Amino acid sequence: MKTVEKVVNPVRRRGEQSPSRIYDEKLKVRARREWRGVKDTLYDYTRWLYQVYVIGKFILLPRNVKGFFRYRWMMSYLFVMHGMDKFTIGLRDEALRITHTAMNFVIADVTQAIANCFRGDRRVGNDKAYSDKCVITDENSMVTFMMGFDTQKVHTILREVPTMFASNIFHQFNVMHYLDIAQQYGIPGDVCPMPEAEAGISIEDDFCVLGSCAVQNNTTCDGSLMGNGIIAKRLEREYGIPTFQLATPLRHKEPDVMEYAAEEIRKAIAFVEEHTGEKWDWDVYFRAAKRVNDATRCRIAQMEINSTPYPQFFGAVFSLYNDTNYMGNSGRNADFVAIDHKLLELAEKGYREKRMYAKEYRHRCIVWGVQPQYVIDMLYWMVQCWGVVPLADMLSIINTDMIAEEDTPENREQAYRDMAMLNMEMIMRNHTHGGYKVLLDDLWDLCEKMNADIVMMWEHMSCKALTGMHGMFEEQARERGIHIMWVSHDLCDPRVFTRQAIRDQVNSYMRTVMREEPLDPALEIIPDNEAY
Amino acid sequence: MKKISALALKILLGIVLGALGFFVVTFIIYFFNLDMKATSMLAPFLEKWFDKMDRKQYL
Repeated sequence: MKTVEKVVNPVRRRGEQSPSRIYDEKLKVRARREWRGVKDTLYDYTRWLYQVYVIGKFILLPRNVKGFFRYRWMMSYLFVMHGMDKFTIGLRDEALRITHTAMNFVIADVTQAIANCFRGDRRVGNDKAYSDKCVITDENSMVTFMMGFDTQKVHTILREVPTMFASNIFHQFNVMHYLDIAQQYGIPGDVCPMPEAEAGISIEDDFCVLGSCAVQNNTTCDGSLMGNGIIAKRLEREYGIPTFQLATPLRHKEPDVMEYAAEEIRKAIAFVEEHTGEKWDWDVYFRAAKRVNDATRCRIAQMEINSTPYPQFFGAVFSLYNDTNYMGNSGRNADFVAIDHKLLELAEKGYREKRMYAKEYRHRCIVWGVQPQYVIDMLYWMVQCWGVVPLADMLSIINTDMIAEEDTPENREQAYRDMAMLNMEMIMRNHTHGGYKVLLDDLWDLCEKMNADIVMMWEHMSCKALTGMHGMFEEQARERGIHIMWVSHDLCDPRVFTRQAIRDQVNSYMRTVMREEPLDPALEIIPDNEAY
Repeated sequence: MKKISALALKILLGIVLGALGFFVVTFIIYFFNLDMKATSMLAPFLEKWFDKMDRKQYL
């Protein structure tokens, strides 16, 4: 079997040596925050103050208070700082700064998304003029078709992000209510709980209602198609919000699908123009295209650093930041550029100074499949407890090609193909659909490039896209001498696999197959199953 | 002149003490996670509030 060289951190960690003492089974949150030495604790404290400021500013607006008491999912946002604590276990130096820089920006972005939802919501802010310029899109959707609309004139509302996706990260139980509602109405429990919860939110009438129109995407699975149908029915029939179905080819590696995909983008743009009364602006588009290319270059550079013995920016935060920037932003918001470069600067500094997340790196790991929302700190735990470094995850392995960024007549035609390509190469769809080449071959290429000796396969119980491939993964990993560690979960439903049940799968693999002892035995069992 | 200097000194001292007080209080809240402990006590009441709310359930 393949082995990699062990890397030992020459520097002793400042502050407490094990983060295990911050957990308390009697509490729903951490017992206290981690002591990281004076400098890093003070840094963490100032970032906490910043989060208090962001949330305080949000709650000062009366309509946001009204929205808070109207929508059940808002309860999750009581636990934003608890969510941040999940991302920072054991972190010091650049790793801590990278995590805060990325996540503070994501939190501010999601807070703004909620404020925008409440402003236009017919039940809360009811700002009709604003709502008439809003376009609702799916949570799991590229917004390339909005790249040419001025963000001051047309507002893209990813309504499901704050309602379901982000809220589940901060509060592991908050989605269960919506899953129960969906199942009470006869929806089977074996579909992906993410679209099922979104369907449950719609059935419960717990989505904000706003927008002149909506654009839905055939994302990645039976569950999302089912959920979209239920949501679109309520949007169109009850609230009179016309909904466009952006049907994207799933065989996205086949060149003959391109013209059809580009045509779908043209139709989506025409639909938005018709319902918002605003026109597509090529100057706006090409400025956004430049920012998309810039973000791509930064992401490639981050991945190159991760291919060295001293990776810097990885784990759930890398994935969530890419999710927000690549899919939810798609070059529209200029503020992401400075953050991308700041993150890269921090990573480069961390690499130069050989900073490490833990006292030892024993294995280099590629994380494949979809991570569970409710145990979002899993990859950081894996580094701290077992010294297994998650160099890259499937959701962050996205487009690396540059798109046309100069405004010429030829490039205006090319732009439709570029938008279509980005849309087809959307997070998750680009690997879960498109055949075994994108799901298997890409994985082995990545293992080679990143010098990985372990693949951690997230086995999402309700994901049918990956189920049929189990045997092929096993067989091909064996041929290549790569360890493959299957870890089952149910994405948003902690009743199926608890947090500890998920960690135990890694514990038993590391002990029985790898015959190793943990780096930090106190972290092997953490009493956080009942914590938010 | 002396009066002005004394006043400036008092203001400066007030600012320093205020900032120190702010730091001590907020740092205690931060370090002992009192913010999240307080919100976790609030959550069960909010759950009851949302359970009681009438909803127009529809499929």
